[in-house]
Amino acid sequence: MAGTTAAAPAARKGEFLRENANKKDVRLMNIEAAKAVADAIRTSLGPRGADKMVAQADGHVIITNDGATILNKMTVEQPAAKMLVELAKSQDVVAGDGTTSVTVLAGALLKKSLELLERGVHPTIISDAFNLAVGRALGFLEAAALPVAAGDRDALVRAANTSLSSKVVHQYSSLLSPMAADCILAVSDPARPEATDLRDVRLVTKVGGTIDDSEMVDGLVLDQRAAKAASGPTRIENAKIALIQFQVSPPKSDIENNVIISDYAQMDRILKASRNGYAPEERNYILQLVKKIRASGANVLLIQKSILRDAVTDLSLHYLAKAKIMVVKDIEREDIEFISKTLGCSPIAHVDHMRADKLASAGLVEEVPVGSGRVVKVTGIEARGATATVLLRGSNSLVLEEAERSLHDALCVVRCLVQKRFLIAGGGSPEIELAVKLGQWAKTLVGMESVCVRAFAEALEIIPGTLAENAGMNPIEVVTELRRLHAAGHQHHGINVRKGSVTDMLEEKVVQPLLVTSSALSLATECVRMILKIDDIVPVR
Amino acid sequence: MSGASGPQLHINGDRTSGQDVRTQNTTAVLAVANILKSSLGPVGLDKMLVDDIGDVTISNDGATILKLLEVEHPAAKILVDLADLQDQEVGDGTTSVVIFASELLKRGNDLVRSKIHPTSILSGFRLAMREACKYVEENLAISTDTLGKDTLLNAARTAMSSKIVGSEADFFGNIVVEAVTSVKTTSEQGKTKYPVSAINILKAHGKSLKDSQLLDGYALNLGRAAQGMPKRVEGARIACLDMNLQKARMHMGVQVLVSDPAELEKIRERESDITRERIQKIIDAGANVILTTKGIDDMSLKYFVEAGAIACRRVPKEDLKRVARATGASIVMTLADMEGQESFDAVNLGSAEEVAEETVSDNDVIMVRRPRNTRAVTVLLRGANDYLLDEVDRSLHDAFCIVKRVLESGRVVPGGGAVEAALNVYLENFATTLGSREQLAIAEFADALLIIPKTLAVNAAKDATELVAKLRAYHFTAQKHLAKFGLDLIEGTVRDNVDAGVLEPALSKLKIIQFATEAAITILRIDDLIRLAPEPEEGEE
Repeated sequence: MAGTTAAAPAARKGEFLRENANKKDVRLMNIEAAKAVADAIRTSLGPRGADKMVAQADGHVIITNDGATILNKMTVEQPAAKMLVELAKSQDVVAGDGTTSVTVLAGALLKKSLELLERGVHPTIISDAFNLAVGRALGFLEAAALPVAAGDRDALVRAANTSLSSKVVHQYSSLLSPMAADCILAVSDPARPEATDLRDVRLVTKVGGTIDDSEMVDGLVLDQRAAKAASGPTRIENAKIALIQFQVSPPKSDIENNVIISDYAQMDRILKASRNGYAPEERNYILQLVKKIRASGANVLLIQKSILRDAVTDLSLHYLAKAKIMVVKDIEREDIEFISKTLGCSPIAHVDHMRADKLASAGLVEEVPVGSGRVVKVTGIEARGATATVLLRGSNSLVLEEAERSLHDALCVVRCLVQKRFLIAGGGSPEIELAVKLGQWAKTLVGMESVCVRAFAEALEIIPGTLAENAGMNPIEVVTELRRLHAAGHQHHGINVRKGSVTDMLEEKVVQPLLVTSSALSLATECVRMILKIDDIVPVR
Repeated sequence: MSGASGPQLHINGDRTSGQDVRTQNTTAVLAVANILKSSLGPVGLDKMLVDDIGDVTISNDGATILKLLEVEHPAAKILVDLADLQDQEVGDGTTSVVIFASELLKRGNDLVRSKIHPTSILSGFRLAMREACKYVEENLAISTDTLGKDTLLNAARTAMSSKIVGSEADFFGNIVVEAVTSVKTTSEQGKTKYPVSAINILKAHGKSLKDSQLLDGYALNLGRAAQGMPKRVEGARIACLDMNLQKARMHMGVQVLVSDPAELEKIRERESDITRERIQKIIDAGANVILTTKGIDDMSLKYFVEAGAIACRRVPKEDLKRVARATGASIVMTLADMEGQESFDAVNLGSAEEVAEETVSDNDVIMVRRPRNTRAVTVLLRGANDYLLDEVDRSLHDAFCIVKRVLESGRVVPGGGAVEAALNVYLENFATTLGSREQLAIAEFADALLIIPKTLAVNAAKDATELVAKLRAYHFTAQKHLAKFGLDLIEGTVRDNVDAGVLEPALSKLKIIQFATEAAITILRIDDLIRLAPEPEEGEE
């Protein structure tokens, strides 16, 4: 662009408004780039959507169907296209699902606005009209939403089902959907649904077995193995668990120290304790630590990972094994909060604070083989907090990673539903309903606004159209059929992908939370309005 | 910025989509499968693989070949994972699973090209897989109880028939069956397990394959540490150590400063005394066999010689663990006890009836016979060169797994393409009963199954068309006893493979069908391949 500026008349003075054609180019370029992004993931929409394979620079391969993940991985370069990537991310944050829909929708809106621009409508007018239309659309949506009773597990399962139906793992949805619903029900407080925190749900993934072997664990699963270099116990019944943040290892002195011996009797004092190079007082120090731990009654130790010192040494493991204390080390710092919440105990920062009342009781702590690895399972926890743990299994890491992403989406969907207790029908029916209603409303408007709202309504039809296309149906036929039905008042009719026909979505139990669709609508519109308003790109070095 | 941006998406890398990517994936997968094709079946040939350092591997095992190929194409990588998975779950059938998956993919891709929507193909494949598995379980699987005790031997022979040991299948079959049945363990829950890992395989150059033998007891591939030690110890009490028995050394930071030369001598003396005391404690506890993963220095050896004990140094950790498990010993890392002193507890000792050093070919091995807990066996392989021994090792491993599966599941199916032909006939009939779009896909699935008998026949230099046609004719008559008919690849005829003793575990066939279908579906679902360019190196300006 620097070239065009330089080529401009040299004799200009003062403020200079660049010619209109240039601005149009920038806008056009942005829109084209953003549309390309939307087109790229269009084929992944819906239950019959295809997957994308992303081969990353480091050779790692991902196969996924999740819009946000694809966009995130494919390092888009154009700034406007990046906005669409951000858009998918924010939908992921707000609703967790519908990331493909939001991008596709934004693409369709951009395409429509391009047509409007070509017809000479000013971008600001388009932008304002879209804003008006989306406000109206949200109103329609809320009016059509069906309230859900708190704790209606069936409704939650159905919504999770819809979300999972588009994923690679959809044939396991009968297993995963109840899991997602139960997890959220377990962690949410009916009195304060908005405080439901997905961090209270922990997904532990282990390669091996099939997804069918996944389970929701009533208790806690730790990804770490029990430390058994010194043949310590790996199974403890009636466990007393201590979550400690100190290390059972000798402290390191700050500066290099030298010990000088001049007499063989002194050697004994050093060597008696030392093996593999422990300092003289180490053995006693560790022994005292272990004795204090044992005195508190703890028989399972969960030790936080430390970067400064070894959490345990061979010697301390040996002592702990002798004291019949099971050790799990390398607990991540981020996990401490979750674990203490689950076990109903508080982390212990210093050995002097080891008291019986700080320990958590559990029926059984056991290291179990899972596929090729092992995990530590804690079950029968007495004072269990409101958390949930799911142990996911899969035959290879590709499937497993995708299962984790899919379950995360399903959890998000269920959480949306717990927070905002409204359901709407799925299968493209809300979009077509809005398209019809907005179309009618547009007829009551006059001027540019009417044209723009009309375009907005048409853009919405991209969702059912793409759904049909991906399912191998004729999109034009399906969309027109849907339009006819909705105009006749069948407001819940959508695309039944399984049967390849148009049916009532509520009867098919294809439902989704209101929040997913409403946030997709408003986010996509906002993003499009922003792209429309850009008229120049200034590269800055 | 280069100005005009077309409708393509600007990303840092390449992107292929739609039919292109499907064809590309299929081509890559077929290329991989073609490498393996000629090694399927009893008359399959071997591959010689040379890696970049010049190491040579000669193998017939699909999983091994693929692992060494270092495939780069992401879709082909899925196939490598698939073979690996089959190897882990079943242990055999790795070549079949890859060939079947690639055939499915090829046919799937052809269907897409003839304008059938991928989703219909996928659901057809899935349906066919389910039906096939059901049919195998209900109609083809034969319980081992009805077949007599030769079943195990037959299964082992079938597994090995394709390998280099095929000509000695009877000989090795017996070794395999005896080895697996002798490591039978029953867990506390009453579950019977056959841990294949408990079978130790020892390879020694020289003599011929026929001179391989099954040794009763666990063999450690090393000799005693000193010639003065006894050659055998009966009623062995075994101490398993994971520590050094070397002259005590001061650790870093300790300086020895002496002013009197006499002191120096005393210090030296003290150094060796400390180790002597330790050894004395171990011997006092009753140990007469001492195995350590670390070193024992020559000076310390004399204490063991004096006590009449066998000591071995540098025992591989993995071996030590197995010995400890078999003899009931626990591995000791340090002698420190809870009182801050050093001691060795006799409960840490394991026991076996006899430990002896024996000479096998040119090597000395330590045999641990009749350990307390489980029976341990060692297969001693003899052969002309390393490549041969390695390949025999791999073949035996496959056979071990097969025998284990037969023992655990107790169901077998006839081999030699019998199952594939039966399924082909069944699925073709099944397809014609369906009036939906899946019909074509199921028929293709049925045809794809025939790739196994076809490849078998081609590899055996028989007329594949004629043989397979004959085989299908037999199965079409579909009487119960005819379902056992498979190919006789030596004679080039069709025969009753149950009578002929060509058997495979039912589980293996089921897994082949399931895994191959899953993999084909995973690849067919992909309609976009994004390859990211590697990040440019930092710091170049």
